[in-house]
Amino acid sequence: MTTQYDATAAMEIVNASAPGAACIDEGVLYLEPDTLAESIRTLRDSEESDLVFLSNLTAVDHELHFELVYHLQSLDLNHILQVKARVFDREDPALPSLTRVYHGAHLQEREVYDLFGIRFDGHPDLRRMFLWEGFPGYPLRKDFLQMPGQVRAGLPGFPHESEENAWPVPGSVPQRPLHPNDPQPEGEVVVADESEDAS
Amino acid sequence: MTMSDDTRLAMQGTIEALTAGDGSEPVVVNLGPQHPSTHGVFRLKVTLDGEIVQDAEMRIGYLHRSMEKLAEERSYTQNIPFTDRIDYLAAMSNNLAYCLAAEELLGVEVPPRAQAIRVMFAELQRVASHAMANGTFINDCGAWHTPLFHMFRDRERVLDMFEMTCGARLTTNYMRIGGVAFDLPDELLPTLEQFLADMPENIANYEALLLENEILHARARGVGVISPEMAINSSLSGPVLRGTGVPWDLRKANPYCGYESYEFDVPVGEQGDCFDRFLVRMAEVKQSLRILRQVVDTLPDGPYLADVPLHARPEPGESYARVESPRGELGFYLVSDGGPAPYRFHCRPPSLINLSALKEMSIGGTLADAIVTLGSIDIVVGEIDR
Repeated sequence: MTTQYDATAAMEIVNASAPGAACIDEGVLYLEPDTLAESIRTLRDSEESDLVFLSNLTAVDHELHFELVYHLQSLDLNHILQVKARVFDREDPALPSLTRVYHGAHLQEREVYDLFGIRFDGHPDLRRMFLWEGFPGYPLRKDFLQMPGQVRAGLPGFPHESEENAWPVPGSVPQRPLHPNDPQPEGEVVVADESEDAS
Repeated sequence: MTMSDDTRLAMQGTIEALTAGDGSEPVVVNLGPQHPSTHGVFRLKVTLDGEIVQDAEMRIGYLHRSMEKLAEERSYTQNIPFTDRIDYLAAMSNNLAYCLAAEELLGVEVPPRAQAIRVMFAELQRVASHAMANGTFINDCGAWHTPLFHMFRDRERVLDMFEMTCGARLTTNYMRIGGVAFDLPDELLPTLEQFLADMPENIANYEALLLENEILHARARGVGVISPEMAINSSLSGPVLRGTGVPWDLRKANPYCGYESYEFDVPVGEQGDCFDRFLVRMAEVKQSLRILRQVVDTLPDGPYLADVPLHARPEPGESYARVESPRGELGFYLVSDGGPAPYRFHCRPPSLINLSALKEMSIGGTLADAIVTLGSIDIVVGEIDR
């Protein structure tokens, strides 16, 4: 059974070579973005942690900051460690690339760059992967396709689950096609059609 | 019986003579996006010096449907059909991985019968997927469709079993958070018994036809070689990693759904070339049948679905669950903010990440070898682009 590698032990390994590069918040290991690549290299090369396999690399948009999530795995010792790093700059978020530590980070970092717009310094071939160059915006950011009135695309609550989750939100412009059973939102009722009749 | 060294040297000499440095410029050739050898809408841009690949660059995204964004707007249960369409050749495995991640988030206990049914369908899916993988791989090697359609007979029977259980053949949408959607129909177990009885003979036929085949050896042995160290560093998984001799199988390393109670081996290759990947898949089908035999013999009674509310709202948190899909390590990373839909839905796609080393595997070989290498990785473009 794959065990979770102890975050405190991992913090000690990183901090032994670069003091202050790692800290723990609510049981999760956070790495300093500036020294991220070196810290993860230390974790990979240390015999105790032996995290030789980059299982997963992705990002989460927490609106005030981006969180990069790395799942590192040891094949011989069969443990896994989740490592995170935070980037607060939304205009031009950037982090060091892991491509020199794990060759497998190549495509995963390109994917994060494509969909989140997070730059990876030192990546040899950082281009958009699924979307084309010049595609406006980064789709997996939470502010992508923000509606007027700060209404976000997404599921605010299940329909008719509670008053609070009434759907569509009273007074808002609906974000999805209306079902005939849904109440007509305010401001959307067609009062008169002044366009010329084509027939 | 392999190709003799003399023949190989003579072939090598011919290739070198044809591609000797005569001052000609490299040619860029696009394989795909619509090309039989790319297994979907996938474009490989190769730079050739004569017939030797100097550079290989992949262009993907033709099938990008932005599922990770769409999933943020739908409830946890509504997201299950998306996972079918991520890897449409192994929908059951994808259903399973997603449901495991959602169950971890919700803290759901899955009943034993549901666990056994999940193992049964995950392994049937592996048989079907490997039939497709090996068949198309041999197709890429030049055996035009004959072995493919022999293997498709087996796949067809598996898909029939899917159809009788959940009504769908490809995009099954069968697993649920907390179990499976329907109990097994009465006619399934006899059909499965017949399938298990027939398969050993079929596999013996394939092995007699293919394992000693000189042409297959010449096309796949020593082609697309990757070392175990490079494979691990490139995050490769599944038969591509095991072909290099690394016995890494999540069913053994991190058993889920009760895999620890079934006996099976993890087949590995020796040289890390295309032929080893093919052999690993052939051997894995036999192990899957072995697991299926044990599942049928020990299938427990009881409920097939735990009592999970349809509109489940997990506590804020995150989960990362992985399964050994036919293509490798398939993971789902879910983040919940306490709302009805996942705040973040990420799929770790083995098909995409297994392509990390495609360039390294192809450079220096011939163009025909690059096609065999791509076929041996067994990509599904739906999973690459999502």
